[in-house]
Amino acid sequence: MTPTSVMSGLDTPTRSALAGLLLAMADDDFVIGFSDSEWTGIAPILEEDVAMSSIAQDELGHAKVLYELLAGLLDDGRDADALAYDREPEAYRHARLLDHGRGDWATTIARRFLYDTADAARLASIGDGWPPLAELVAKIRREERYHVMHALAWVDRLARAGGEARTRFAAALEALAPDAPTVLAAPEGEAALLEAGILARPMSAAFRGWRTEVFGILGPLGITLALEAATDATRHRATPSDDFRWLWGEFTSVRRSDPGASW
Amino acid sequence: MTDDGNRMIDEGAPIAPGEASGEGPGGILEPYEVFRQEKDGDPMRHGGNVLAPDLELALHYAREMYSRRGESVRLWVVRRADIGVLDDLDLLQPPLDRSFKKPGGYVMRDKLAAARDRAGTTKPGARAASHDTTGRRGEGDR
Amino acid sequence: MTDPLALDPVLPARERSEPSLRRWNEDLPHDERYEHFEAHVLAGGKIEPNDWMPDEYRTAVLRFVEMHANSELMGVLPEREWIMRAPTLRRKLALTSKVQDEVGHAQLLYRVAEDLGKPREAMLDDLLAGKTKFHNVFHYPTKTWADIGVIAWLVDAAAIVAQQALRDSSYGPYARTMQKICWEESVHIMHGRDVVVTMANGTAPQREMLQEALDRWWGPLMQMHGPRSDRARDRDLHWRIKAKTSEELRQEFLTIYVPRIRELGLTIPDPELAFDKDAGEWRYTDPDWNELRTVVTNHGPKSQERLEFRRLNREATAWVRAAILAEPRAAA
Repeated sequence: MTPTSVMSGLDTPTRSALAGLLLAMADDDFVIGFSDSEWTGIAPILEEDVAMSSIAQDELGHAKVLYELLAGLLDDGRDADALAYDREPEAYRHARLLDHGRGDWATTIARRFLYDTADAARLASIGDGWPPLAELVAKIRREERYHVMHALAWVDRLARAGGEARTRFAAALEALAPDAPTVLAAPEGEAALLEAGILARPMSAAFRGWRTEVFGILGPLGITLALEAATDATRHRATPSDDFRWLWGEFTSVRRSDPGASW
Repeated sequence: MTDDGNRMIDEGAPIAPGEASGEGPGGILEPYEVFRQEKDGDPMRHGGNVLAPDLELALHYAREMYSRRGESVRLWVVRRADIGVLDDLDLLQPPLDRSFKKPGGYVMRDKLAAARDRAGTTKPGARAASHDTTGRRGEGDR
Repeated sequence: MTDPLALDPVLPARERSEPSLRRWNEDLPHDERYEHFEAHVLAGGKIEPNDWMPDEYRTAVLRFVEMHANSELMGVLPEREWIMRAPTLRRKLALTSKVQDEVGHAQLLYRVAEDLGKPREAMLDDLLAGKTKFHNVFHYPTKTWADIGVIAWLVDAAAIVAQQALRDSSYGPYARTMQKICWEESVHIMHGRDVVVTMANGTAPQREMLQEALDRWWGPLMQMHGPRSDRARDRDLHWRIKAKTSEELRQEFLTIYVPRIRELGLTIPDPELAFDKDAGEWRYTDPDWNELRTVVTNHGPKSQERLEFRRLNREATAWVRAAILAEPRAAA
């Protein structure tokens, strides 16, 4: 499937909107993937260490295939690695929710819960308009099922454990709640994406369904949360946080030491 | 019957599952044995064990430890404390002769040779093996 | 005349054998149990967790497995800092997966040790207090991406040489665990070699980085299997917990890997290293056994820092473990 044959049905505004959507999805998975991969070797329980590492690897794997799709679409000489690594910090388009540090286990679980459920709602919104994405999303959704299962197992345990665990978890949810809806903020050019059937429903509908789902899980656990749709603020941070700048410095360090080298 | 599989639980274990007081999940970390099936039709084989507070997390961990490379198509997880063990060799391998229960107990080579001699016949052609054999040499048709 | 119905079921003499009766499990005097146990082990028999064991055997296996488990757990640390810096998506996935495997190996090995009677928390206590040890190679810093290649290839190779010799260990659970570990480790070595070969074929700075890493790691690698030991006095060999001596392992490592290192145009930093055809073994500069002793007693360049890191991490995550367990009774 060559890029040109696949893109022949898309006009320029739609292609541009699609590229933006892919970049956002890929950056989201990339940032949460390497953030959560930091637990490898130091998670609270050995068995849980292995589980969290698998989930982080899944996210990185999803980022990789999304970057590959995007590279094909842009067709400007950059491959997936160049897209992932060779941008300035300001050029990353991950949602604000992912711009926080990994935090403690409660923060990680809270964010995984919010992100995996939101991501599931986003993936469920992808239509058949651009087959390469639709086919990829079908596979990604099957892998993501496990993420939600795992997150829910921990949400349940932390919330019902009471004491310090519940306090930390509830506080983490509170801290992340303002930024959580950014995952489902409407992408630029959403109208074009809907027109082309690349999105089967607007992100606002995905957001409402997601919010209901989250309340349905947290309500019985006695946790209330304010989740407001992102309206004024853009989906991603205008200026990257210091946390992200530092991360960027680390993850690009080897590549920048010898630009153009193969690793 | 041995109870040694429970040794870890008995030593310093705070409370047995189900006895936790108060609300919320309560339990102890216990070994769960993992059985795996490598491909369709294979028997379940013991793979190892994981430490977990309950069956749900034990299943998650079994998936990680014994199939994160996609090397299994099915997993069973069983709480070690729920497994009954029989390793008494008096029961499993009793000492007196029971060869009448096994193929090696029926060696007829000499008798068949004597029968053919008496009847002046030869060994049947091996177009199809008869059923009194496990496929191992020295048994059945000779 | 013989009754034709008398089937005369008789097994040939050699098929009629006594099954292993595990007589050491019977209520016999200690010395008799010990004799049966030893005979079984020396004949190649396996021991399982529910078997009676002489204290000497149980202690020896536990110490051996515990050090192995500790090494997997600590071995995670030098590599995990480079997960963040992996320069391509594929390398990042591969390195995360490798480190994940090491954690998995720690899990498998701690499980074996736990079933011998020592709780996981007690083993972590002893590790952090310096009462138990971990292998020398994990006490050194990783300075560049080239270190990651060299470790994954050569350190893992040296480890696998030892681990393959353990697949037939007399202690059943350990032997079976080693089979699983060896299978998983083979992928690590491939990943490591791929990183190394890619750099060897790369830019001049990459090749320099690679040679510099090899220069630093060669000493610890040669020390890794330990000093030559007296086969006759090695209790771990006697009990068949392990099957080969330190020197046998080192020689095996050199035979396989020296040619593979040299074919990449790399120089091994030991001018004495050569294969003596007459003796049928490798000659090399005697490794610095003082360095080994210093390092494994937790005076290596990174020993304290890494133990402290583990200590802090353990404290920071203690609330999670408490959360999923019942409130313990007041300490006995």
